[in-house]
Amino acid sequence: MMGVLMAQSSNARSRRGAADIKFGLIAGIRSACGHHLHTIQDSFNRLAKEPLQTIMTTSVIAIALSLPATLFVTVDNASQLGSRFESFSQITAYLASDTSSKQVATIKYQLEAIPEVKSVVYISPDQALEEFVHSSGFGSALEYLEVNPLPPVFIITPKAEPPMPDQASQLVKKIKLITQVEDAQLDMLWLQRLQSLTQIGQKIVLALGAVLGMGVLVIIGNSIRLAIHSRRQEIIVIKLVGGTDAYVRRPFLYSGLLMGLMGAMGASLILVLGFWWLGASITHLSELYGSQYRFNGPGLQGCMLLIATGGMLGLSGSWLAVGRHLKGIKPR
Amino acid sequence: MIHFDNLSKRYPGGDEALSNINLQINAGELAFLTGRSGAGKSTLLKLLMLLERPSSGTLLINGKNINRLANSKIPSYRRQLGVVFQDHQLLMDRSVFENVALPLQVAGQTRKEIGRRVRAALDGVGLLSKERHNPMMLSGGEQQRVGIARAVVHKPRILLADEPTGNLDPALSAEIMALFRRFQVVGVTVLIATHDIDLINRMKNRIIRLHQGMVVDDGGVDGTIF
Repeated sequence: MMGVLMAQSSNARSRRGAADIKFGLIAGIRSACGHHLHTIQDSFNRLAKEPLQTIMTTSVIAIALSLPATLFVTVDNASQLGSRFESFSQITAYLASDTSSKQVATIKYQLEAIPEVKSVVYISPDQALEEFVHSSGFGSALEYLEVNPLPPVFIITPKAEPPMPDQASQLVKKIKLITQVEDAQLDMLWLQRLQSLTQIGQKIVLALGAVLGMGVLVIIGNSIRLAIHSRRQEIIVIKLVGGTDAYVRRPFLYSGLLMGLMGAMGASLILVLGFWWLGASITHLSELYGSQYRFNGPGLQGCMLLIATGGMLGLSGSWLAVGRHLKGIKPR
Repeated sequence: MIHFDNLSKRYPGGDEALSNINLQINAGELAFLTGRSGAGKSTLLKLLMLLERPSSGTLLINGKNINRLANSKIPSYRRQLGVVFQDHQLLMDRSVFENVALPLQVAGQTRKEIGRRVRAALDGVGLLSKERHNPMMLSGGEQQRVGIARAVVHKPRILLADEPTGNLDPALSAEIMALFRRFQVVGVTVLIATHDIDLINRMKNRIIRLHQGMVVDDGGVDGTIF
């Protein structure tokens, strides 16, 4: 009887122990979350306490981030402009004007036999003239022509799309070897120029982004250095009462993160407003050219990416500063 | 509780601040550490707080050799101590409550638990009514009591005090000492560095006298002076 009682009581005790541990874990997590929230709030309050300083730092970060971001969006649009016309990277083969229709059929067969060729379309001189009359607006003037000056033409679409420049020129050479083909031209030169221009643009974006990103790191690092300096006494006391390095670091890391995020939000605002202002004019311009082209702003995804980048830069900048400057404060 | 075994501390390029210290302070004991400035009192406290590491010898706290404690373990070691500083090291940009709460915050206590314990500690030093005040608005004695509340709020087993009555008049000093005595009664090991000779003579506790880094006199336990 006694044994049963004792077993029961020890059972109850162990159950209570388990509950304590469970409660302890949950309480620990809750307390950690509470602490992080409290730290974020505190970091924010400190930024709000010195509005002028915060606004200045944030604006500098915003400007530094908006520059490469603007260029990125511009270059991205240019390369999209290129990709819209990639399907036009076709080869035009001009035949001699005295080519008979039988010869045309043979040439078509020859062209289709080339493995790199995807499709071949024949445009007879009459078709070409008709199309030209319609699209050029010189209709009545062309009626005075006695002979059709236009040659028969084959439009050849290569298989590889977009074709590699050297592949395409090899293909052009092959086509030129066919009898009755007087000339073959690749309508891609302007596209290649545009592509290499956008490549240069991308490189500039990358370089500028790297330099200005470093700038943001330095700006945030410097503000964090000042914050560490002004909170020196607090750091010492926290260390004396047993605060870990992580505990000491945390508010500074959050400050850096917040500054980076706010700067990037500012940059996003600059971008959205700027491209909204510019976008209408660009659309108007492209309408004048009869194009369906629409200029794409940074968009929600772009802004999110920019803000995330800003946050990362802020966190890294403060991490670097904290690592460097906390070491100098005794006690260890 | 605290055991110095042949402990020496030599600062780089300087004299020996402590040489061959052998001391044993038992759990629940209240001892005074005295001697002239430069006798090694501060160094001894610094070694206990792991602000400095000994050059040779061993320092056992609660049976554990803390010489070999890794740097990453220092924070959790310091949480077992309560320290009262001469310049009280209070943060003037926050309230009395927040100052006292600091040791519990760094230990990750819940807000509810922090509130309960801080109020208990402030009640213990008679400053519960001033929890919202800024320490700057308090008198020297009150500031020191806030410092004591912060030192004991996490119920440490060892309480160290460096000149806790340095800037106080005799009446306030006696008040502060009475507080320390109360902690000793509940089992805290208390070590107080001071050169307030009158005060310690009235207290009739163990007195450890340092001179040029050596223990020159270790006046017994609780009242018996050798």
